[in-house]
Amino acid sequence: MDFNQAVLTVFIVGAALIVAAMAAVALTSGGAPQPQSEVQPRGYALRRRWFWALAAATVLALIISLPHLPYPSASAMAADMHVTVTAQQYGFTLPAELPRGRPIIFDVTSRDVNHGFGIYGPDGRLIGQVQAMPDYVNHLPFTFTVPGHYTIRCLEYCGVGHAYMQASFEVK
Amino acid sequence: MNALTLEERGISSRVMWLYLGTGLAVFALMAVLGLTMRMAQATWISLDPTMFYAIMTLHGAGMITSMALCGMGGLWSLMYREHRMRPSVAYWAYGLVVAGVVAVLLSVFPGKFGAGWTFLYPLPFIGATWPSWATGLFLIGIALVTAGWIVWCIQMFGCVVSAYGGLRGALAWDLVFHPKEFAASGREAPPPQAFAALVASVDGLLAGAAGMLIGVALIVRWLSPSTVLDPLWAKNLTFFFGHTFANLTIYMAIAFVYVGLPRYVDREWHTSQVLAVAWWGTLLFVATAYFHHLYMDFVQPRSVQYVGEVASYLAAFPPAIVTVFGGVLLVYRSRMRWTLGSLFMYAGMAGWIVGGFGAVLDATIPINSILHNTLWVPAHFHTYLLEGVLLFVLGWVFHNLEERSGAATSALVRWIAGLGIFGGGAIFLLGFYVGGADGVPRRYAMQPPPGPEISAWASTGAIILLAGLVVVLVEGIRLARKRAASAA
Repeated sequence: MDFNQAVLTVFIVGAALIVAAMAAVALTSGGAPQPQSEVQPRGYALRRRWFWALAAATVLALIISLPHLPYPSASAMAADMHVTVTAQQYGFTLPAELPRGRPIIFDVTSRDVNHGFGIYGPDGRLIGQVQAMPDYVNHLPFTFTVPGHYTIRCLEYCGVGHAYMQASFEVK
Repeated sequence: MNALTLEERGISSRVMWLYLGTGLAVFALMAVLGLTMRMAQATWISLDPTMFYAIMTLHGAGMITSMALCGMGGLWSLMYREHRMRPSVAYWAYGLVVAGVVAVLLSVFPGKFGAGWTFLYPLPFIGATWPSWATGLFLIGIALVTAGWIVWCIQMFGCVVSAYGGLRGALAWDLVFHPKEFAASGREAPPPQAFAALVASVDGLLAGAAGMLIGVALIVRWLSPSTVLDPLWAKNLTFFFGHTFANLTIYMAIAFVYVGLPRYVDREWHTSQVLAVAWWGTLLFVATAYFHHLYMDFVQPRSVQYVGEVASYLAAFPPAIVTVFGGVLLVYRSRMRWTLGSLFMYAGMAGWIVGGFGAVLDATIPINSILHNTLWVPAHFHTYLLEGVLLFVLGWVFHNLEERSGAATSALVRWIAGLGIFGGGAIFLLGFYVGGADGVPRRYAMQPPPGPEISAWASTGAIILLAGLVVVLVEGIRLARKRAASAA
């Protein structure tokens, strides 16, 4: 299972658990009632545990995610190969061929409006992206490990030709 | 709370139903437009891209405004019970918002303005396939909606601080930090719905100021084409305004649940220290979470990207731990009376949490790299809008209709409506989530594979969902007529 499908699976399992838990509580409302004064103390005790569980999950998510941010480090900016990408309604200017296994920094900008520079791998999966903005250059670090045909699609709405704005390159 | 006189009841009711009726009518139109776009993406119907993007622009702007109108009217009537407000101000706010909606509508039909509700600078002015007047009319329309919203926020903020002895009282500061003295003083904390009003008005004013600033800047650019704006500055203002305004719709609508749900379970939903502190968190995190819209703008300062992720995570705490948990606890072993009103309110809380979970995943920066501007984005906000905000609004509408008519909806109709809204809704929403995980871009008139195939079954789900909503509409009319007949 790739990363994209893993995220979807986590969501579906989480959503199913939320719905199931709320449905289970709804079913209790048909049984013998309990006074609010009895339900509340137990509920508040459970809420404390729920708070700490959610806090732990949040800290864990931050610990896992923050070291994997897509932003370039200063050392990578200095050492890596730079590739200029220019977006313009409705196309991209970039090299037709890129090396495999070599760290690259895409220097992405736009000549007109905001665009998105979305990289789709040979298997059709979205594997990374950055915005292409007028007056600014965004630096996207990327290392291609799989050879093949890659497609670029615009991922920021840019006008009537947005859906047709794409380009491609080969990684060898 | 002072009991309303008969005349005051009439004022409260007129303002509420005016806003609710208009909001739901706009919603119905926007829902049909949404289905039209999904069917075009499924290649069931042919839609010229110019028209597709014009519809998309109207759908986005109109849907959020429709839910905001519902929240504004409902919350106004609830807070009117706490502290009397001048209805003329509410009518002015309504008039400004509706004038803005009409202007936006005209900019799209016949103007075909299609720069998206985000109108990201400089898109409204470059490569436009629509006339210049449509750009101006759209921007003026957005400015009018924002002006109406600001008027409402100012009145609501004034109401909250007047009702509870200033901002300190409205925040329940003394309840939290001096509980013994507070209890001894005999004062009462603001009810839960007052926190919704406070947060909506304060964060709403901040968002409204940002919206007005970018709106006026773009109008100046429209009038004077030599004007140059900073695209990153414009993007920050646009998303701060848009995200916060959209997000606040659910925080306004939860007030309906605070007031309505306890009546179905004969239990109390009172303000505790935890509830007050939770709303303080909401006040802060709703205003700072918007940075997650700009994760892929790598030129943003790194620090605000961290703020975006942390604030987006923490924004989930108050609803997950306090409000929805409190609602679930209220229902637990309660002998709840299940009607359409209570069903919608309870199910809406599930929709809020499920949509919020999808949002939190997307707010994780490495995950955002593969989900940003894919169908995952409409997935999560359609979840909490359709299965959250809308259900809270419908729950409130039916709560009122049921109380006034003294009638209830049959189990059969509840099942049919429920199957349509939840069953059809699940299919419709899964289309967005699956498409997002497959990297299908959002805002594409023609989608790459597997987009059209997913759009086909998502459209089927949307049709079932709309059928369920039609059943709800018919049932609502039946209850309203019953009430009218009994009143006569």
